[in-house]
Amino acid sequence: MHLIRIAVPFSLLLVLISCKKEPEEIVVNSTLENGMVILCEGLFQQNNSSVSWVNFSNSTITNTLFQDRAFRLLGDTGNDMQRYGNKIYIVVNASSTVEIIDALSFKPLQQILMQNGGIAKQPRSVAFYGSNAYVSCYDGFVDVIDTTSMLVTQRIQVGANPEGMAVANNKLYVANSGGLNFPNVDSTLSVIDLSTNTELQKIVIGKNPGSVIADSQGEIYVINRGNYGAIPSSISRVSSQTDAVLSELSINATVITHMNSDFLIADLDITTNNSSVIVFDPLTETISNSNFINTSGVTTLYGIQYNSSKNLIFISDAMGYSNTGYIRSYLANGNALKSYHVGLNPSKILFYD
Amino acid sequence: MIRLSFIAFLFPLILWGQNDTVQPIQEVIATETVYIPRANNSILTKTDIEELSANDVGELIQKIAGVNLKSYGSLGGLKTVSMRGLGANHSSIVKDGFSLNNSQTGQVNLGQIEVDNVVGVISSVGRRIKNSLPVSAQISGSNFLIKTFENTFTTDTLQIRSNIKYGSFNQQLGYLGMKYSPRKFMFSAFGRMRQSVGNYPFVLQNGNTFFSSSRRNNDYKDYSFGGTVGYKWKENYMRLIYKKSVFDQGLPGAVILYNSTQDEKLATNKQSLSFDYRTIIKAVNYRFYVDTRLSELNYKDPTFLNSSGGIDAVYINRSATGGLTFSLRPRNNLTINGGVEEVISDLFSNDSTFAQPVRFHNFGLLGVSYLLRYGLKIEAQISSQYVQEKNNNGQNAKDRFRVNPFIYIEKSSFNKKSWKHVLWYRNSFRMPSFNELYYNNIGNNLLEPEEAHQLNYGFSFVPIRKKLDIYFRTNIYFNRVTNKIVAIPTKNLFVWSMQNVGLVNIYGFEAVVQSKWKINDNWKLTSDVNYSYQRTLDMTDMDSPTYLDQIAYVPVHTVNFDFSIGHRKTGLRLSNYFISMRYSLNENVPQNEVEGFLISDLTIFHSIKVKKNLIRIQLSAKNIFNQQYAYIRNFVMPGRNYLISLSYAFN
Repeated sequence: MHLIRIAVPFSLLLVLISCKKEPEEIVVNSTLENGMVILCEGLFQQNNSSVSWVNFSNSTITNTLFQDRAFRLLGDTGNDMQRYGNKIYIVVNASSTVEIIDALSFKPLQQILMQNGGIAKQPRSVAFYGSNAYVSCYDGFVDVIDTTSMLVTQRIQVGANPEGMAVANNKLYVANSGGLNFPNVDSTLSVIDLSTNTELQKIVIGKNPGSVIADSQGEIYVINRGNYGAIPSSISRVSSQTDAVLSELSINATVITHMNSDFLIADLDITTNNSSVIVFDPLTETISNSNFINTSGVTTLYGIQYNSSKNLIFISDAMGYSNTGYIRSYLANGNALKSYHVGLNPSKILFYD
Repeated sequence: MIRLSFIAFLFPLILWGQNDTVQPIQEVIATETVYIPRANNSILTKTDIEELSANDVGELIQKIAGVNLKSYGSLGGLKTVSMRGLGANHSSIVKDGFSLNNSQTGQVNLGQIEVDNVVGVISSVGRRIKNSLPVSAQISGSNFLIKTFENTFTTDTLQIRSNIKYGSFNQQLGYLGMKYSPRKFMFSAFGRMRQSVGNYPFVLQNGNTFFSSSRRNNDYKDYSFGGTVGYKWKENYMRLIYKKSVFDQGLPGAVILYNSTQDEKLATNKQSLSFDYRTIIKAVNYRFYVDTRLSELNYKDPTFLNSSGGIDAVYINRSATGGLTFSLRPRNNLTINGGVEEVISDLFSNDSTFAQPVRFHNFGLLGVSYLLRYGLKIEAQISSQYVQEKNNNGQNAKDRFRVNPFIYIEKSSFNKKSWKHVLWYRNSFRMPSFNELYYNNIGNNLLEPEEAHQLNYGFSFVPIRKKLDIYFRTNIYFNRVTNKIVAIPTKNLFVWSMQNVGLVNIYGFEAVVQSKWKINDNWKLTSDVNYSYQRTLDMTDMDSPTYLDQIAYVPVHTVNFDFSIGHRKTGLRLSNYFISMRYSLNENVPQNEVEGFLISDLTIFHSIKVKKNLIRIQLSAKNIFNQQYAYIRNFVMPGRNYLISLSYAFN
């Protein structure tokens, strides 16, 4: 009886202490339209990777889209999200999974556990060609996923810790970062023949290659991240016809994306934490606008994407990497338009008309 | 990607009569708390330690008001404590008069300190027990003193302590300690082992669902042995103490959804050799001490995806300490105390690119305590520290010199000595650890020391000294931490670095009520309740989303509520520990919330005494309500589990 007398008021105290206000619930239509889906990476060991949905019609934001549709969490450290046809592929690095999702309903279709003999493959990014999705994995392979059966059908060995990929001229170009050997990073680009799914060769480019993108001429651009110190970042240009390095551009770059036929290249200066966005014309190999967007309102530039149907630019602001982030939109003239408060470390965006 | 579970390991925190500065050598082990007004110290007695049935000192210390434990797992898991929001590196851990702090991490893994031989723990934040502490511990932000059976002088010729324990998840523990004290000598030796499979089941919420599994790669094994030779004459003693400990454990890391491939291992080998000589000659009391320590860490990650096929890193941290403390009493109401200490420490690694730092750390202390009329006491201290840094494989950190004050005013009831007011201010700092200065890609050799300011008012009261004894204490404090050292991503998500960017204000309150009720010769009841309120606020940057937010993993409310009932040699203790919701990151948003929890442990014990032989059997049910909880997000703790212990003592 003594215990009960003591425990009851004590429990009531705890209940009072733990009372909290429930957040307002936002209803998201069963079919996604006129908005954007944002992959928020989260932080390592927190299992807090998430997907946000921004409805352009009413500017409402929900930061639990994946959980709401899958009834479970996305996992730990989502690194890439791309759409191919009616499917979305999310690559979750620390959880070592690839989530395949119906693009319209955002309901999960398949979760692929990316493990090999009890060792996590740690997938990093995804690219597509024909009926296959190609997933670069930190264990030195590119996994081939059949987009119909949604199963891994083949593994292609590449270099150390592959990251970004791009397709051009029936070939897949894979950046071998060697990031887990830092400071002795890799500096090669694997070329994979997509008709045989075999590696043709490794091209030597700059140190610590990361993002890869192809232009309309079939030329490949790779961001070499350097060593975050004395060796600055740069961009290597590679011909997909000859697989030769055409030039190394002295452009500081963190992320690169398409804007119509141009590239938007954004850079975050790690010393000053200042960021910049330039417009680069890959046809003439020139910078057409060296100060395209005033990024003074951006705390930590982490990603950039262009929405062609709305003619708007969207910057992912990671807010110091340990605070919930923002997606900040800009008009095509570079003026700031709107900010959306989303999840932790927003990176990739997919747009819905 | 950096394996953060290992990084957490790297960075990753007794009353024996402390009333007067000059005191007799008092080696009587306190089995029960004697209630006297104390506004600075908290004590866990031998009785508390036995009844709490803790796995390690970390689990014990969390019962003390103001302590915030960070536990990354059960048996052997990394456990550090911080006091009043200051951070683990501001606390000194002192065992038998020798500091355990290590310069590589700057903090002590309390999960590796056994409790079987611990006979008392005391924590202090303000005024300190003086001459039994090294100088470095006397001037730290707070300290915890641990006293063990083997290193305590006794009047008994032969003493034996032993116990064996068996518990859930195949926990096995064994301990044997013997102390032989012919005339003025003391010879003691002990051996101990612990092991556990650690595969406890857990349930983790995954969105709208729950998933059940069991902890993997959580095996743990350790053993230690040591011996002490002591000599005591008149009011002097000297001790020579040796100890070796070997730990072998899996690092389970956080539970990562959909990926259970964790296979990191850590092996630790520690040795220490210590000597001290202490005396009291009338009005002079001094202690000379020398201490050498070796700690070897071997971290392995066989599936780290680098070109060399994994990580096999060795870190060797050595330290040598020598010091002298003294106190003089030229007049009955005046005490002067002080001391000097020099600590030399270094670090080696098998990684040729890693720094090879050497640190020469000099401490100096001078204090005066003056007892005025009407129970008013004033104490003032000034301490200095000079730190020289060398790096034999890279750039040095800067040398530093600091002077720090401590001021203390006490007003006691001068007739019955039943209450006491104290007001004090302490300024202290902690050095950046070798890892913070030099760890590959993370360390920053430009780091400044982290400063702490503590202002405290305390009141303690012992109203009744009859059948019902009550002790009451409350403290209100304001702490401020400047130049706080935090790890932040400075280059990208995978490249973090240590920076002096933090400014933290801590507003705290604590209350302690203890009572003992001796109903009759057979029955007694005791209760021990403490409550801590801590608002630990980020004041760093007004434009930051975390401005005025509660710092990660500091609970606002912490409650301990222990109740025990004893009938002759049989008893029961219900021990409850509650911490409120915390945040896993500094931003106070719902997605960072880590649920608070209430954990209740129940222990039943019975003792049989035949002449000088004491046998005790004890059964503990821990986490009796089978709560699923975690101190650190995704580092799940065990549910309901049991431990049975059989101990034998001879006096």
